[in-house]
Amino acid sequence: MNIRSLPIKNLIRRPGRTMSLIFLTAMLALSVFGGSIVVMSLRQGLNSLESRLGADIIVVPSSAQSKVSFQNMLLQGTTGAFYMDAENLNRVREVEGVEVAAPQVFLASLKADCCSVKIQVIGFDPETDFFVCPWIEQSYSQDLGELDVVTGCKVEAGVGEIIRIYDERCKVVGRLAPTGTGLDTAVYCNLSTMKILLKAAEEKGISHKVTSNPDDDVISAIYVKVKEGYDIGQVNSKIQGHTRKCSAVRTKSMITDVSDSLTEISATVTLLIGAIWVLALVILLIAFAMIAGERKREFAVLRLLGISRSMLSGLILKESALCSLAGGVLGVLVAAMIVFPFTTLIETKLGLPYLRPALPYALLLAGLSLTATVIIGAAASIWASFRLSRVDPGIVLREGN
Amino acid sequence: MKRSSLCALFTLVLAVVIAVGSVSFLGPCIHEDESFGACHWAGQALFGLGLLLAAESLFTLLVKDLRMRQGCLVTIWMTAVLGFFIPGTLIDLCSMATMRCVALMQPAMRILCALIVLIALIGTISGGRKAGKQE
Repeated sequence: MNIRSLPIKNLIRRPGRTMSLIFLTAMLALSVFGGSIVVMSLRQGLNSLESRLGADIIVVPSSAQSKVSFQNMLLQGTTGAFYMDAENLNRVREVEGVEVAAPQVFLASLKADCCSVKIQVIGFDPETDFFVCPWIEQSYSQDLGELDVVTGCKVEAGVGEIIRIYDERCKVVGRLAPTGTGLDTAVYCNLSTMKILLKAAEEKGISHKVTSNPDDDVISAIYVKVKEGYDIGQVNSKIQGHTRKCSAVRTKSMITDVSDSLTEISATVTLLIGAIWVLALVILLIAFAMIAGERKREFAVLRLLGISRSMLSGLILKESALCSLAGGVLGVLVAAMIVFPFTTLIETKLGLPYLRPALPYALLLAGLSLTATVIIGAAASIWASFRLSRVDPGIVLREGN
Repeated sequence: MKRSSLCALFTLVLAVVIAVGSVSFLGPCIHEDESFGACHWAGQALFGLGLLLAAESLFTLLVKDLRMRQGCLVTIWMTAVLGFFIPGTLIDLCSMATMRCVALMQPAMRILCALIVLIALIGTISGGRKAGKQE
């Protein structure tokens, strides 16, 4: 008999016990890896939203604020179309302390033939924009032509494909990098393309006019950057007083709302992981204690055969480490099968920015989860291995008779 | 219970989940206007494939001959490979990643099919060894 292969033979000999231990440690690994990925994705999503917004203040029509449609549009990708007089852009630019004011126009498409889903179309001014342009430059370096569009990463249209918006054939010239926000589900174009699309929508009976004059231009939002040295709150108040039927929102307050929700979810996930770990650890301790009682005779025989106490301790530790390793690998794989393919579903259900970590980070997390599981699994068996290594073979074997 | 029978039992359960899921909780997008999109047909194909896989698994359970059982398991994993590629590759889904068919149906069906392939492969290999020993 080879002492090195004994742990594996022991595990194979008792498949029920081995499977139970593997299941328990798999639960540990699943909870810690799955939970960490979700929390990390939420944090990355928030960082992405912060860096993507870039503006200090966003001016939207009062109607958008009352419907909370703007925040939902940014976070969840719900379609929204609200308009204000384009004259407000000049009024905002006149306010002292405003460095840049970039307009955007929103349009919700009709349901497409393919998928019964409305798409948010966002028109921006390439001359002044600091919100979409830096993002687009990462994937498309040329100027957008008439009826050229760039799609968010969640719009399943490849570069060169044609998408129809209000019967206008728009050519996809680029796809944007993921942000983990509602912006990933939108289609972006310049203002001249947007004018064509608004006209096409008008012909379909979808009005976007806010004044009686049909030639008046409309915009949906103004992104404002405040000059250095100026107080954002004061500039915000001035804009509020200077514009008509508009609400000026500080982006910081919007991000704070999201951050609060994220903190709550992170705390809940962490609490759940903690509870699962405590529960699994207690069950593992009980399981190993029971195993120690059950295997006294087996270890007494091994002692009689001349195996030292330290070798017996090592045997138990090896068995538990092997079980924990198998359970850890299984748990990490199951967690990966849940959190990676269903990323979009999790993001939609949470309604918060959610950006999956890059592969190296995910692999690092998987490695850490696996290590923690093996250490905890082996640690839970230390007491049992100590007790078993100290059995008196004579007493134990006599008890059996 | 023999290992190949256990594998066939697992694949039967997963096949039933595919068949039932593709027309209910894992099904394609539900259109408000009751029209059918591309994903509807992917769902229908998966329903048929789930039934086929269930029938193949049931047949594997009933067959006594080891070599024949091995052949059935080969058929099961080959059918499951086809199922893996139905949503999104062989039959188009909706054009938005947030839609139910892309966010839920496709990953769920692919995971189920991958599990069937894995289980049926294990059954095929272990059954092959056993049959070889008997011969």
